[in-house]
Amino acid sequence: MFRYFSASSIAGPIFLGALAIALMPWYMLQDGFFSFTWLSGYPLDAESASLLSLLLQGQKLWLAPIGLIFLVLFAGALLPLTRRKRGELFLWISAVGLAYALGQGFIVGIQGWSFSFLSDAFGDMQDRQFGMGYGAMFCLLSLLFCFSWGLSASGRVQQDPFVTGSLALIIGVVGLFIFMPVGQMLLLAFQPQGEGAILGAVLERLFDPKIWRLQCLSGVGQCGAAWNSLGLAVAVGFLTTLLGLAFALVFTRTRTPFRPLLRSLSLLPVITPPFVIGLSVILLFGMSGLVTQLVAGWLAIEPSRWIYGFNGVLLAQLLAFTPISFMVLIGVVEGISPSMEEASQTLRATPWRTFKTVTWPLLRPGLANAFLIGFIESMADFGNPLVLGGNFNVLSTEIFFAIVGSQSDMARAAMLALVLLLFTIGAFMLQNVWLGKKRYITVNGKGDSGVHPDLPWPIKWAVIGVTLVWTVFTIVVYALIIYGSFVEIWGRDWTFTLRHYISGFGVSWTEHGLMWQGSAWSSLGTTLTISLIAAPLTAAIGLLTAWLLTRQTFVGKAAFEFGTLLSFAIPGTVIGVSYIVAFNVPPFELTGTAAILVICFVFRNMPVGVRSGIASLSQIDKSLDEASMTLRATSSRTFLRITLPLIKPAILSALVYSFVRSMTAISAVIFLVSAQHNMATSYIIGRVENNEYGIAVAYAVVLIVIMLAAILSFQLLTRGRNIGRRGMAPSDTTLTSGVP
Amino acid sequence: MKFRSNVIAALLLSAGVLYAGSASAAGRVTLYCSSDEAWCQQAKTEFEKATGITVDMTRKSSGETYAQIKAEAANPKGDVWWGGTGDPHLQAAEENLTQAYVSPNRRRIAEFAMNQAKASGDKTIGIYSGALGWGYNSELLTKQGLPAPMCWADLIKPAYKGKIQMANPNSSGTAYTTLATLVQLMGEDDAFKYLKALHKNINQYTKSGSAPIKAAGRGETTIGIVFMHDAVAQAAAGFPVKPVAPCEGTGYEIGSMSIIKGSRNLENAKKFYDWALTAESQGRAKDVKSFQVPSNLDAEVSPLTPNLSTIKLINYNFVKYGSSAERKRLLKKWDDEVGSMPVN
Amino acid sequence: MSLNRKSGDAAVVLKQIVKQYSPGSPAAVDNISLQFDSGCLTTLLGPSGCGKTTTLRMIAGLEMATSGQILIGGVDVTRLPATQRDVSMVFQSYALFPHMRVFENIRYGLEVGSLKAEEIDERVDAIMRMTGLEALGSRYPHELSGGQQQRVAVARALVIEPQVLLFDEPLSNLDAKLRRKVRQEIRDLQQSLGLTVIYVTHDQEEALAISDTIVVLNNAVVAQLGSPRELYEKPRTQFVADFIGEANILPCERVASAHGVKVVAGPLSFELSEGIDRVGKGHMAVNPGKISLQPHQEGALSPHAMTGMLSKASYLGDHLECVVETAIGEILVRTPVVSDAPFAGSVVTVTIPPEAIVLLDD
Repeated sequence: MFRYFSASSIAGPIFLGALAIALMPWYMLQDGFFSFTWLSGYPLDAESASLLSLLLQGQKLWLAPIGLIFLVLFAGALLPLTRRKRGELFLWISAVGLAYALGQGFIVGIQGWSFSFLSDAFGDMQDRQFGMGYGAMFCLLSLLFCFSWGLSASGRVQQDPFVTGSLALIIGVVGLFIFMPVGQMLLLAFQPQGEGAILGAVLERLFDPKIWRLQCLSGVGQCGAAWNSLGLAVAVGFLTTLLGLAFALVFTRTRTPFRPLLRSLSLLPVITPPFVIGLSVILLFGMSGLVTQLVAGWLAIEPSRWIYGFNGVLLAQLLAFTPISFMVLIGVVEGISPSMEEASQTLRATPWRTFKTVTWPLLRPGLANAFLIGFIESMADFGNPLVLGGNFNVLSTEIFFAIVGSQSDMARAAMLALVLLLFTIGAFMLQNVWLGKKRYITVNGKGDSGVHPDLPWPIKWAVIGVTLVWTVFTIVVYALIIYGSFVEIWGRDWTFTLRHYISGFGVSWTEHGLMWQGSAWSSLGTTLTISLIAAPLTAAIGLLTAWLLTRQTFVGKAAFEFGTLLSFAIPGTVIGVSYIVAFNVPPFELTGTAAILVICFVFRNMPVGVRSGIASLSQIDKSLDEASMTLRATSSRTFLRITLPLIKPAILSALVYSFVRSMTAISAVIFLVSAQHNMATSYIIGRVENNEYGIAVAYAVVLIVIMLAAILSFQLLTRGRNIGRRGMAPSDTTLTSGVP
Repeated sequence: MKFRSNVIAALLLSAGVLYAGSASAAGRVTLYCSSDEAWCQQAKTEFEKATGITVDMTRKSSGETYAQIKAEAANPKGDVWWGGTGDPHLQAAEENLTQAYVSPNRRRIAEFAMNQAKASGDKTIGIYSGALGWGYNSELLTKQGLPAPMCWADLIKPAYKGKIQMANPNSSGTAYTTLATLVQLMGEDDAFKYLKALHKNINQYTKSGSAPIKAAGRGETTIGIVFMHDAVAQAAAGFPVKPVAPCEGTGYEIGSMSIIKGSRNLENAKKFYDWALTAESQGRAKDVKSFQVPSNLDAEVSPLTPNLSTIKLINYNFVKYGSSAERKRLLKKWDDEVGSMPVN
Repeated sequence: MSLNRKSGDAAVVLKQIVKQYSPGSPAAVDNISLQFDSGCLTTLLGPSGCGKTTTLRMIAGLEMATSGQILIGGVDVTRLPATQRDVSMVFQSYALFPHMRVFENIRYGLEVGSLKAEEIDERVDAIMRMTGLEALGSRYPHELSGGQQQRVAVARALVIEPQVLLFDEPLSNLDAKLRRKVRQEIRDLQQSLGLTVIYVTHDQEEALAISDTIVVLNNAVVAQLGSPRELYEKPRTQFVADFIGEANILPCERVASAHGVKVVAGPLSFELSEGIDRVGKGHMAVNPGKISLQPHQEGALSPHAMTGMLSKASYLGDHLECVVETAIGEILVRTPVVSDAPFAGSVVTVTIPPEAIVLLDD
């Protein structure tokens, strides 16, 4: 019965470690694993040899301690020690092993010593090493699990190895793929300029007038990017909250017939790459746009470029982010128990008074939450300002230009990223601390029975009016997108054509078989593959984290919670930049690979899995877990046999929504695409930049169709599921997680 | 149980990473292309067809490509940089980011192209040339009741306020050539006075060099300052665009090609280099509406290509204005004096 | 099934158990030491918040004690998690796994061990027969009635043959009639198998009906423990007297007297022969069922009787519940229904026999 700490339960990590150091190529393979070209040199060639093979040939001797560590661990696993002693041994030895394995990766780089003080001290190193490959990676993983097992077995923590292992894994990957790169990038902001002092350079960068000047207030000049971003974000937050509230009120408190239309419309902007809406705005309001031409003709004035700049970006962001606010506020509005308002009515209050004194105060926290979400989304938005910004500089685009311009100034980009982070994290902390945890739990129930009273009629007609206008507008925008993909040249030649679709997605039969001629296939294929790979990983990590947060208690839980939540507030631009800073050189040489895209997606979309998991898990009775424990099941068995099956809807939801978010991501992706791995959104932006709107819009339509198909099949799949208790509907707020 | 769950966890996480850099067959070359997208696509397909070598191509403006090559210097990912104005190529050569190669196909290459090679120690070579100028949307111009601008001096007239687009010299080789041309044409002080005056008429500084004329073609702006062959391309595509050669004289570009230092597929890079210098490959450019003057003297030239001998060209000093120091200095000056001016 | 243990050994021992949820906060369980005998059904009884559920969960291993020791079958399990203790639990909400059928639920605990599949099936069948669930094996929990669900929960907990079986208010989700039936079933099962059961409830009637021993908890400490009879007939404190049964708690004074002690309460006085440790003011508990009620008649009153006014008389079918206002407070009296029973508003004589009095410690 007490088989818990027998040696066999560490068999897994030990076996993994053995595999890693004996068989797997230690270093990164140039052409990737599946090309199998590396097999020709295996097992002796330094490029593809395993750790063991390298050491036995007397090469890369600085790796020897790692081999020694594993020998000690193997011995520890086989010797007849008490559990406690074995646990202590594993704990300390693997900690040392981890530190050394990581450390040597940073110290010995592509040109020998990575730090000049080392080559001063020890002379130039004649050898070099490339980035870590599968061998190194699995070795690190194995050491991590040995460490967490030791932590459990030694009795230093209460939790069993599955829990500590999961914790260690999550902390490890989040630290490695979020905090380390961002930290490294932020450090760049503190580099000296040339030969000068650090403080001077930092202050100069921080207070750069391009960021902070205020001339626009006096009407004469431009304002700094920071003020632009801030002003835009505040406006967007405010307006999307108002609009979202109007929609939510119409949806729940009135009996207008077009409510189902509202619900489906609210889905559309979620599955559209954000800048496509900006594109459509240009097609409507640009200098040669439909509306502009009409109005100019009517009023006999010259069409102007009024849409480029603040106006256009504001409009596009409102269109894109109002549905998110709607989804958040629907939960809030529905959660107000009707009996409270009914009580107010029976106490002789007019509808107006009821609204003012009962409904409104109950809505306030939800409104504040929606505001902050809109604020953060606007701050981090990259695609729309890029397309519509004109000369209106915002922080996210400034970061981009600081890197891709020929004055490639990483320090400046890092400083800008720091400022942007301060804004988004500030808003996020406000949301977290001030509003508390209420926003996680979806209030799916309609409260108690009772009928919502009607709204006071001035409000009622106001919200219906606004909603109607907005709905029509949204429909027009989307109709345009579809229509625009079928015309020759927007604004000039309205003949119907399939040319854009053909040039992007044409296929032809040659004697070699099916040839994917269209220029878009390569990026579409890459995007689909990467999104499909990233989705299950996202769901797994997100749900595991959610489980740890809702079902386990452990030392430092608050810090863990804060750390994983913090990653929600980091804009995609910042992540993209940090990745190219941190992962371009060994030990983690990932730029230009597909791996970096997958990893980026997994951690950008982790909030989806976490929130979905938390919402779902909080609906499951905790005593089910406890019952399982009293029936002798370990945490892993409980997790796999009890928890997971009961949150199947959450798993599916996490899968679908992270897939959708991956397909539409742009702000991080644009930094990480490479010649071999181009992504759909980046390709589309390239076409837009080149004024090739036809194919850009056609591609966008194809993307939208794919994602609609994904979401609809998901809805179909979950309709039939009703696992006893209460039918657990996936929460819509999974989509409001994180920033674009 | 733990064994199983651990292996699952490990597999799950590594499943995605196992996909890392998975390429198909050997025989690749990574091409950083700074020419027009359509031409880049054509080069990729034609080369693949001709040699069977897979081409991984990204298209970025010459400024962006230079920045990327510089960022990747410690660990180069690209093999060949093809297209884009010559200045960034020269700067890259000067900073040792590219490597020298003498191709066997250099015998029939025009003098202007060989000058690039000489100036860079064979690290780069010219593949096409084109004159700087601008184009305007004739329909829009008539509607706006404006005269056609034929000289640099015309462009700063207040009548054209908010009607002109050019690229940002920081990211676009075209715009940098414009900057250097004006400096050589008018002298540095006058050139910057001119640029400040011009700024009042500019509605947007685009990122890519040929975007201004494409916007003009669509009617989003009236005038776009670009290389003349870009304007010709728009006209050939059916837009009401007219190219203009500035009356005072103008500069020109030498589109160039370089092999990146540390290229991982050096043999294939050289093959591409050789192929790009042949008359056959250069002659196909016009099929994708690229109307530059090819550097191979035997290549077929389109009748639409502007005839350089009829245009007043200045004696552009590629060595001086291609140098890293001068580039940096001029760009900084532009940033400080023109780029920071209030927007219209 | 080999569940018969020797009665009399202590199956579970708690030594000075303290549970504090955070340092500095009041203890949820304050220095409790208890022994639970093997083969007995011991009930932890008390109002909500008294610490009974916390104590149970600490025995189960679902909470860890802040200090103290817990021994199960002589083994120190204080630091062991629930998974490793030889106890199993029936939860208040039953906690049946909703995505598994009845037989899968019951099998769950056996799948961890080294039993072969056929053995597992045998045991599951046996337990289902024992709990009357044979026909329901392939149903899902939501297809069962409350009573059936409860039996599945018990079967599931039983089939793994734990040393100790814990029940956390298992009847609170059932309606009153079912409760009586089910509690008897639990008691019968426990007795026939000789199980060691620790049972938590706040319902004193339930506790009295099925327990071998009752531990009354109040405010994180043990108020009194003993057999049901002891607790009912000889409560030691006001709290226990009030909680179990419906005793009248009346103020009194103990005075030393020739034969022992005299208890004086208003006009009443009683001579008690039992030695009492202290004199002075205190309280006594009087069983309402042992007080007699007569319409007032003229004449002298014995020292055990006094007059009062009958303020309320409720008819409860088999008896009358009367509230009489007297010189020493309101007294609840239960009298049989007779044709000339006193009516509300009349003056009555209340007689308390000395054996109906229990002197309380506080």
